[in-house]
Amino acid sequence: MKSWGLQVFLMQLRKLVAYRLDFWVNFLGQTLFSLLIAYFLWSSIFSSSLQANINGESLQSMIFYYLMAPLVFRIQQGQGIGFLSREIYDGGLNKYLLYPIDYFKFKLSAYLANSFFFTLQLFAILCIYNLFFYDSTIYAFSFLYTLYFLISLLIGTCTFFFYFSTAELLAFWFDNTWSLGVALRFITSFLGGALIPLSFFPEWSTKALAYTPFPYFINLPMLIIQQKITHEKVFEQIFISILWLIVFYFISKFIWKKGNLVYSGVGI
Amino acid sequence: MRYFNLYIYFIKFAFSKAMEFRVDFFFRVLMDLVFYIIQFGFFNILYLHTDILGGWNLEQMKIFIASFIFVDAFNMTFFANNSWQLPISINKGELDYYLTKPIASFFVLGLREIAANSFINLIFATCLLIFILVQSSLSFSLLSISIFILLLINGAFLYYMTFLVFLLPVFWSGSSRGFADVFFAAEKIFQRPDGIFTYYIRRFFLFILPFSAMASMPTRYLFEENKLIIFTQILGASLFIYALVWFIWSKALKNYTSASS
Repeated sequence: MKSWGLQVFLMQLRKLVAYRLDFWVNFLGQTLFSLLIAYFLWSSIFSSSLQANINGESLQSMIFYYLMAPLVFRIQQGQGIGFLSREIYDGGLNKYLLYPIDYFKFKLSAYLANSFFFTLQLFAILCIYNLFFYDSTIYAFSFLYTLYFLISLLIGTCTFFFYFSTAELLAFWFDNTWSLGVALRFITSFLGGALIPLSFFPEWSTKALAYTPFPYFINLPMLIIQQKITHEKVFEQIFISILWLIVFYFISKFIWKKGNLVYSGVGI
Repeated sequence: MRYFNLYIYFIKFAFSKAMEFRVDFFFRVLMDLVFYIIQFGFFNILYLHTDILGGWNLEQMKIFIASFIFVDAFNMTFFANNSWQLPISINKGELDYYLTKPIASFFVLGLREIAANSFINLIFATCLLIFILVQSSLSFSLLSISIFILLLINGAFLYYMTFLVFLLPVFWSGSSRGFADVFFAAEKIFQRPDGIFTYYIRRFFLFILPFSAMASMPTRYLFEENKLIIFTQILGASLFIYALVWFIWSKALKNYTSASS
């Protein structure tokens, strides 16, 4: 990363914790409520189904899943909705066009700073989980799988950045794309496995989803951290996710070039 | 009457504004439709692995899903835009314009923004609720359904007021979001049947953070015999939150310094 990229990265980290009380209350509150809802929902399902395992998952492994999956999805969402569209909409993009730097690299650096911070949070939560609820059948530390996990997170985050950019950049033509961003987030969280693990989906749908980018956002990192996937399969899946990254990179670059031609820089 | 006339102006303005941004109008309708489809998909997948969830079968659950979709659509139409805008207005010091107007500040700040585009979804959500109720093999009296609808409308207002409890701390913290992220994690409780929770947690989500009083308890009102008790519980929970918001709002205005950040 070039020195300006690092500066942007560090500046973004400082912005992220500017309101410390809000930041920590939001982080702890989000984790607590997500876990609470998942625990009671799945406790109810397990008790009414009268089975200790559903689809090979125990209640404890489901709790672990719901502890990690929202954090994984949060990492990939980086700065959240509006990270490009807001500046196109209000004319703030002008200043970036004058900078002697690549706009996408600038934005990606800031985006990754958020993701980096959320990754630290994920590992902090993982440590706390292991401190109190350690169970080697649910999670056991492996250096290699942790490395795979980080690689899949990084690729997933970059893919999500370009995937989401395709919607954000539509702000060149339309006045407000916020709702489209929210719709995309809903779709990704559901089809990516943030709401329910994909293994619980009907078989025909999981087969169909394999041809889409969605499983590579949340499902793949979750399979890796739970070590439910072989080394060979990890390489294969990471290779496919790189292909999706390339696809979305070129689509977003194409929209960016087209959008630049219609950009007036006036703002609202 | 003055407030009623003013609200009519808010509605007229909302519709003319929505017509200006036609693509956003379409995107917002799309967004809510995606949300509705996902909710049905989510519960249908859960019912592949169980017959009963929180004491309800799939047929009852569909009524519950349609109920919280209605609450969501009502909130998105009449309240949501105000709640998203409020912390930004406080953070930027824009409240001054409204505090100096000869009208109740909460009325303007809390109700002026109406999302005309979400109104399409409210119509859709209403039709969906009616369709599911008519299709159901369960029978309900007209009085029960009328009170049920009123309780759902109260649920939408209660959702908004509960959100304000999480947002109003921005008067003290000065941030532009307050504890919105916590709320968005917690609000999923209103999309789950209260029957999944154990006794004390259930009470907590009924009386302290009354997410269950928004859609789950009104649905329970429809199914169960002890209607008066359920009605009283929802009323009690609602009044508590309304009083709390009024209290925080009056304290917050005294604390408002107007300095933008």
